[in-house]
Amino acid sequence: MAVGDRGSRVRAAPARRLAPVPPGELATPIMVPNTLWQPADPLAYEGGRPADVTHLRGFGFTDAGRNDAARWGALQVVPTKADHILDLIRANSLWPLLSGLACCAIEMMSSATSKNDMDRWGMFPFRASPRQADVLIVAGTLTTKMAGPLIRLWEQMPEPKWCVALGDCTVSGGRYKRSYSVVQGIDRVMPVDVYIPGCPPRPEGLIYGMMQLGQLVKDRRGRWNERAIGPNAPDDI
Amino acid sequence: MDRTLETRLEARLADHLRGPVYQRHDETEIRIEAGSVPEVLRILHDAVDLRFEILADLAGVDTGEVMQVVYHLWSPLTSDWLRIIADGLSRDDPRVPSATFLWIGAEWLEREAYDMFGIVFEGNRDLRRIFMPPDYTSFPLRKDFLLPDDAARSPGAGVRHVERACAPAALADDPTAGVRRAPAS
Amino acid sequence: MPPRRGADRPTSTREKPQAGGQPSTDDPRIILDRQIGADLFEPIPPYPPRTEREGEFYTLADGEMFLNVGPHHPATHGVLRLVVKLSGEQIVDVDPVLGYLHRGVEKICENSDYYHVIDQVDPLEYISSLFQEWAAVLSFEKLMDVTVPRRAEYIRVLSGELLRIASHTLYMGFLALDLGGLTPILYGFIERDEIVEMLAALTGARMLFNYFRIGGVNGDLNHEFMSRLGDWMSRAARQTEASAGLLNENEIFVRRTRGVGILDRATALRFGVTGGNLRAAGVPFDVRRAHPYSVYPELDFNVPTRTEGDSLARYLIRVDEVRESIKIIDQCLHNMPDGPVMARLPRLLRPHPGRAWGACEGPRGMMGVYSISDGSDGPFRFRIHDPSFINMETVPTLLPGNLLADTMAIVASLDPVMGGIDK
Repeated sequence: MAVGDRGSRVRAAPARRLAPVPPGELATPIMVPNTLWQPADPLAYEGGRPADVTHLRGFGFTDAGRNDAARWGALQVVPTKADHILDLIRANSLWPLLSGLACCAIEMMSSATSKNDMDRWGMFPFRASPRQADVLIVAGTLTTKMAGPLIRLWEQMPEPKWCVALGDCTVSGGRYKRSYSVVQGIDRVMPVDVYIPGCPPRPEGLIYGMMQLGQLVKDRRGRWNERAIGPNAPDDI
Repeated sequence: MDRTLETRLEARLADHLRGPVYQRHDETEIRIEAGSVPEVLRILHDAVDLRFEILADLAGVDTGEVMQVVYHLWSPLTSDWLRIIADGLSRDDPRVPSATFLWIGAEWLEREAYDMFGIVFEGNRDLRRIFMPPDYTSFPLRKDFLLPDDAARSPGAGVRHVERACAPAALADDPTAGVRRAPAS
Repeated sequence: MPPRRGADRPTSTREKPQAGGQPSTDDPRIILDRQIGADLFEPIPPYPPRTEREGEFYTLADGEMFLNVGPHHPATHGVLRLVVKLSGEQIVDVDPVLGYLHRGVEKICENSDYYHVIDQVDPLEYISSLFQEWAAVLSFEKLMDVTVPRRAEYIRVLSGELLRIASHTLYMGFLALDLGGLTPILYGFIERDEIVEMLAALTGARMLFNYFRIGGVNGDLNHEFMSRLGDWMSRAARQTEASAGLLNENEIFVRRTRGVGILDRATALRFGVTGGNLRAAGVPFDVRRAHPYSVYPELDFNVPTRTEGDSLARYLIRVDEVRESIKIIDQCLHNMPDGPVMARLPRLLRPHPGRAWGACEGPRGMMGVYSISDGSDGPFRFRIHDPSFINMETVPTLLPGNLLADTMAIVASLDPVMGGIDK
């Protein structure tokens, strides 16, 4: 089972086909009457009458390569501009997971403390729990013994999540290229979004990398369908 | 270089020494058999004119032919470091009595020597792997464990001066020819 | 054996357990822990115990449980796994599992030449990396019979003591952080950043300096370093007192560290502990005085020693050592001789076959290097003795009897750096 590959985890849906919708036409929505509970205010939720707009197409949402509806689940009834605002919100409040393994962790802490303050970009709270974190900054050499727990941490992080490889050891194995117990770059085990070289990189370098990540969040709109394990650089580099 | 230390050691450890006491700079070195490690360490620790109380290091060494365990001790009575080389362990089944009866701190040092070389310390209550995962089967610091890009064996052997441990022509026949052997001294 | 997770306990209330008591589900979105191999990460190893101590540890008496303070935890000492056996809140036994940062430095050094070894040995104790270089360089200089010029020795002492102050400042910050105080770590990093920028002006790097060479240092003092050093020295004493005063008299800090994790003299000597932890136990062993190297015989400084052996004593010793280091830096600056900073050596270093042991006093203890030369370009065997390794070995003796909340405090007061422990 490949890590990060959603397709291999979600099995094929059972053979129950929905009625196909002819393109360009609106289908009649299935309205389930609300028999479960009564709102306290009888005039709330438009007084119980069905809503006027039932499809995002009514809002001018087209399917041409910006298929974010399935991505940001609960907000399908919000206009698409909010997706952009969501990305801005996420990019400006990336909460890293404390994943300091070795020397680069000291530089990561140094970039989080007073002199080079990452809190200016909203990244100060280093969460100890992977469930609350957005970014996994892998800072320090990843050894084969630690690879298991680190992948476990990565899997426990809820989406949307990004991964930053900090330091030469995580980018490519670095100075431990010949070692018997070092994973030669974390992109062998997890998809990486930003690589920050250096041994160790200066705190300003880490901050530059995080700013690039913020830009990436806004550009790519968080889609990871094209993310895979291995170097994610395009072929023409 | 403490000459008096040499005489004191020869007086106390006469029949355990397997060679002359060797002194260089601020170190004194003695060689003993692997089996006499407990007695020698006990004498060095308890003798009133020796009092080597602090265990500085316990290391394993693979010389290519034999294995050794090297102890470094410090005493307040002399200005020299003392090095004890327990020589003559076979590479197939290296066994040494443990030093944990005297210094508990030797337990993890011996675990490390076991993990890296396979040297079995008899009497160590906790001889399991310390660095590598518990199901790892090799002993990394042995001379027959070659790194994937070992300098002596790589196709670039001989190009850089550091890779000329042996003549490149010999490597083609014997893949372990690049393994360095320890000096005779 | 305590029951495993997921056995006989349904993971969700919506599922109907089958007849065997095991919950099963067809929903592909629910992945049970046991399916992805959670056994590997259980505190109890899945194999039978192989040693006496392992069997004794992994046997649970009545009312005890295991808690896995796993390799990833918020206490920032690095990747250390402590399997703690608890009886309620009290620790009964602890088994530290190392190796999550084992990088094979010794093996790489056997395949490198002497210059590269100095670079490879830096990330061991990354917070105080000049001391590993110093131990390696001491050992190589004995192998090659090299005399280091006096100016180089003074520069070594100067940069070493600066880094010792930076390391101790970080130690104070981490100790407070593990006890819950979030402010001293920020002060610690401010001071460390100042010192480390100074050293970056001198050596070119902030953390893994690669500055010492066999026969001297890599570069002479320069204007930027001296001006930063002058600025810092004018404030150093007052800053030290301020940071120390933040914690010394803090009631929570003192009550959580006084009398906690007492390492007495006999036990410390039997472990082979060195450095501040041994001096806090009452043994005035400092390699700079016990077995002087470099120009320490000419410098005037005290070796602070305390007898209590608890965490507070270990902390106060570091505070005293910062003051002594400031004194040493002062003397170095006043007595700095002129001359070359590197001995004249051939480019290709091929020492005669032999063995050498070199040891220096790092912030955590005695850092030693044993190297064997076989006449070729690199060491035949390069053995690093790291002080944090022995300090960590005392943890199974110090922790039992204390509460779980003291775990990180005691471990932090021993000042472990996992890079050095795991090599």
